[in-house]
Amino acid sequence: MSDNKKEDGVLSQLYKTFFAKHWPVWVGGIILGTLNILLFAIKSPWGASGGINNWGENLYSILGLFNLEDATPLISSNYGMLCLFLVIGSFIGALFSKEFALRIPPVGELIKGFIGGSLMALGATFGIGCTIGAFFSGMPALSGGAIIFTIGLFLGVIVALKYLMWEMEKFPGFSSGKSYSFFAGTGKKGNWQKWAGWIVLIITLYIAYQYSGNHQVLAWFIIIGMLMGLISQRSRFCIVKAFRDPFMTGESDGSVGVMAGIMIGLIGFTIIKYFGIAVGDVALRTREMTWIFSHFFFRAIIGGFVFGLGMTIAGGCAVGTLWRVGEGQVKLWASALGFLIISPISKLYIVPPIVEMLPASWDFKSYLPDYLGYPGAFALVTVIILIWYVFVKWNEKTGKFSAY
Amino acid sequence: MNIAIDQTLDCKGLSCPMPMMKLAKAMKGMKSEEVLEMIGTDPGTKSDLPRWCNKSGNVLLDEGELEGGIFRFLIQKK
Repeated sequence: MSDNKKEDGVLSQLYKTFFAKHWPVWVGGIILGTLNILLFAIKSPWGASGGINNWGENLYSILGLFNLEDATPLISSNYGMLCLFLVIGSFIGALFSKEFALRIPPVGELIKGFIGGSLMALGATFGIGCTIGAFFSGMPALSGGAIIFTIGLFLGVIVALKYLMWEMEKFPGFSSGKSYSFFAGTGKKGNWQKWAGWIVLIITLYIAYQYSGNHQVLAWFIIIGMLMGLISQRSRFCIVKAFRDPFMTGESDGSVGVMAGIMIGLIGFTIIKYFGIAVGDVALRTREMTWIFSHFFFRAIIGGFVFGLGMTIAGGCAVGTLWRVGEGQVKLWASALGFLIISPISKLYIVPPIVEMLPASWDFKSYLPDYLGYPGAFALVTVIILIWYVFVKWNEKTGKFSAY
Repeated sequence: MNIAIDQTLDCKGLSCPMPMMKLAKAMKGMKSEEVLEMIGTDPGTKSDLPRWCNKSGNVLLDEGELEGGIFRFLIQKK
């Protein structure tokens, strides 16, 4: 009997370790970086905008619009399902920690969410990638375009942050007004959330098991997507925060978390590319060029800039939007809606005519090891991260570039 | 805890970064040792706010959860 009590205590402690408090962001970053390596080892690295675009294509397919009847069905799309289960994983994390609630913000915030999501869709389709594909995975993939995309992101974030501060000063009423909260898990009455969390977790594992027979890759994308959502929710992993906070409150925790994930990913991705791990029946060169997009440099800088604007206004990048959707933040529901509605339209009708006007040489794939070798490319990305680290830590101390 | 509150900031329904932006702006307009009560519903504030207080030198006097998933913080300006 006493042994049983002791065992309960240990399990309860374990549960509290994961779900009583938020995790340090760097812990989340390291685990997400590791899961990103696993995705690459299974098939290809983490990406988010492609999955959300798949949702949009499926929506239009159902509505019979834009001739998208041949779009990959969501249930067969690796990245569509990865994104879907990222939302579900965050939902599970929020339920387990009793942090789920349907939080409906003032109307002005909903509008900003929708506009932010739409801008992210424009940026991602023009720049070929988002903060995950073209940054969190792109940098470890040793992509020259990812470095350019990152510069664009920084510029977009700074401009949009200036706008938010101006809006708060001149039009404070825009982000104020009636708000609502439903299904909150406060106190003992909220214990239903823990049970609901277990039910959703079991259903998720059952779905993954169903896929494991003939679609092993998809089964693992479901499980890893779910884990990524849960980890992002618990550690508040947020790439907007990483770019924005040094210029806002001056804090560096979010930035360091993202850097940790990139550095872990860099080691794993370099090894996979260098040795051609899981090359399968594709050429080694194809494996090396995974997540090297033809956006160097014009599409990367403009796409990154527009995406940076959008994610700052929305308050979440592609993945930050997804996990906040799972947590019940309705502003980010508006952001996801804007993203999925605009993304297929932009891909079909907005981006192609613009790209046609650009010189063909601007659709360039820049793979850093082609110029610097693997050691040089690895060192370059490491130095960039190190410079960023020194900057955010110095800025945190001095407040030179922070607004507050 | 019986603490005199000088100003209340309502951030219910707002998500990151609005609560922290509004908080930082409100604190700028307060005098030393005055106390601000902030209420909100974004779980992110539970980690962002103590970190910001730690960095800025303002004092987090109290934090708690009210009915309906509302978080309440009392912050004293340094």
